[in-house]
Amino acid sequence: MYFEINGKQVFATTGGKPFDKSKPTIVFLHGSGFDHTVWSLQSRFFAFRGYSVLSLDLPGHTHSEGPPLESIEVMADWLHDIFESLDIDDVSLVAHSQGCLVGLELASRYPDRLRSVSFITSGLETPVNDALLNAARENPESAIAMMLGWGYGSAGHLHRGPIPGNSMVSGGRKIMRGNTPDALSTDLHACNNYKNGVAAAEKVNCPTQVIVAGKDRMAPKKATDKLIEHLGSPAVAVIRESGHIVPQEAPDKCRSLLKDFIFKNNPTT
Amino acid sequence: MSRFLNFDTLALHAGQVVDPEFGARAAPIYQTTSYVFPDTDTASSIFNLERGGHAYSRITNPTVGVLEQRIAALEGGSAAVCTASGMAATFCAITAILGQGDHIVASTQMYGGNISLMKNTLPRFGITASFFDPTDTDACRAAIQDNTKLIYGELIGNPGLDILDLEAIGKIGADHNIPVMIDATFNTPYLCRCFDYGANMIVHSVTKWMGGHGVAIGGVVVDGGNFDWGATDKYPTITEPYAPFSGINLWEEFGPSAFATRIRAEAMRDIGPSMSPMNAFLLLQGIETLSLRMDKHMSNTMELLDYLSNHDQVSWVNHPSLPSHSSHELAKKYLPKGAGSIVSFGVEGGREAGKAFIENCELASHLANVGDAKTLIIHPATTTHSRIDADALVAAGITEDMVRLSVGLEDVADIKADFENGFRAAKRFAKG
Repeated sequence: MYFEINGKQVFATTGGKPFDKSKPTIVFLHGSGFDHTVWSLQSRFFAFRGYSVLSLDLPGHTHSEGPPLESIEVMADWLHDIFESLDIDDVSLVAHSQGCLVGLELASRYPDRLRSVSFITSGLETPVNDALLNAARENPESAIAMMLGWGYGSAGHLHRGPIPGNSMVSGGRKIMRGNTPDALSTDLHACNNYKNGVAAAEKVNCPTQVIVAGKDRMAPKKATDKLIEHLGSPAVAVIRESGHIVPQEAPDKCRSLLKDFIFKNNPTT
Repeated sequence: MSRFLNFDTLALHAGQVVDPEFGARAAPIYQTTSYVFPDTDTASSIFNLERGGHAYSRITNPTVGVLEQRIAALEGGSAAVCTASGMAATFCAITAILGQGDHIVASTQMYGGNISLMKNTLPRFGITASFFDPTDTDACRAAIQDNTKLIYGELIGNPGLDILDLEAIGKIGADHNIPVMIDATFNTPYLCRCFDYGANMIVHSVTKWMGGHGVAIGGVVVDGGNFDWGATDKYPTITEPYAPFSGINLWEEFGPSAFATRIRAEAMRDIGPSMSPMNAFLLLQGIETLSLRMDKHMSNTMELLDYLSNHDQVSWVNHPSLPSHSSHELAKKYLPKGAGSIVSFGVEGGREAGKAFIENCELASHLANVGDAKTLIIHPATTTHSRIDADALVAAGITEDMVRLSVGLEDVADIKADFENGFRAAKRFAKG
């Protein structure tokens, strides 16, 4: 569905069911350069089990009007504006990578809007190396290759995948190419500049879940350990065989973990 | 694994998860119609496209799935769907987005089955076609109508071997918000990855070079994931709710694989031209050696081109690698590793000489196929293109004396010796 936030068109899939604010809401937020389709094998499942689902495209990504948002803090405010505009509370936020930083900031600024947060493959900060930052600015195709090369684990690089016939890596490349030209660069700079993770994490007061990927090269274990440490006592699960793009690389385990956590912390009845 | 794997590695490994139970290195043949669900929730999730998985082999099958993902990887596509044949792939791909009242702009130089599909069969369903000379991209642009929803062509035209100027055709498609579908059977992704030059969908008869051994019929549709279906309202089958799956909007839900998902959800379910697991296994064995075979096809082709071009009983030789071919420059651009292993040539003495040549070759097999490991020859005017009318024959570049040669992998000296037998028999029909 499309709606307007701050004068710009925003897109979200609703998982095949009409958005209904009277139901518990799950908001899915993608990572740098990606879009809502990273959640295809999670969002529809919840939509058909009593939840209202919003799987968003950040501004400048696929169907949402640009320009891309320049900082994690602005993204958190934008997300809060969506909650205000659609009049939704008690949201379960499911965030991947960059989306987790937004989740931290949102949960610390607007703690009363969230029922739970699921953090998938993230630390408290996401420092980005200069080579990738420069490539994203000067040569987006090269930056896309770096993102996909480091992001996907062996399942991605071997074009295995849960959906028969689909190639995750090729699909990811098309998504990143389809964003506004500066989307990836803006995302990466926003990640690199975000320094408030520790303070934000300590203000989070809703139930949290951290899903760690055993073969993650973008959010390695020492980074996710810090997130876990500062969140207090999140539910923690490790998906050993997955690279960074857990929602696509290990969709069944990811969905199962989300299901157990969200059903418990934000039940439909 | 943090870097992209190269072509030869993907040809061997892409799409396969090594059998977790017995460790079988080859892709197992899952010769089963159906799959036991662990619970009702999983079953309903698979049927409702909430999760991946297999329910019934008409729709998906694990062995076929390996082949699909391998071809998607080799082509650089976001998804692939295998079908029972190349013609099934073409039909499913076209009807996934076109219906009553819609129009195709297609190249004149296509396999006879494709021409017949667009001239005879699809019009019965209200889908019409206009045809353009593949050497004239302006003609392609001019043929576009308000109801045109697809541009279709073969990169290497059959059998005239004219090369489609893919970038120019891709631009025409992009200018009009019309996807470009390319039959890449003759080139395979080893010789040209058509998505890199503007194609939006690719179809193959994988029966041919992809499988390469003449043992299994099959087809595939590959979704390039690079067409913006939402930029126009012309493609409701992709962008509007699809009632049989709870009103799912495939474009919104699946983005770059929306087109392939439509084929899977509709054509494979409602029409059912599925590939058998055994055929998928055989085709996978062929793809493992695709680059090795294509290199040998190309080296044999170049030697035979030299041989035929200098043979006093050959009146003409047609191949894009020859400087005399009108598509020579396009071949250098799009097909630097070789412009395919189909050669056409005329035998001095016309139709009867051609017939004598074919009947007196022993190694080269006289049959209606191309892309086998073995050398094949045929007379198109009386066989593969016999069901199209005289004007279309001319438009397709087919002459009465044409012999179509599909160069195989034999020792090239033995192919030449075999051809000498054919030429000796044809000599009595030659003038003078």
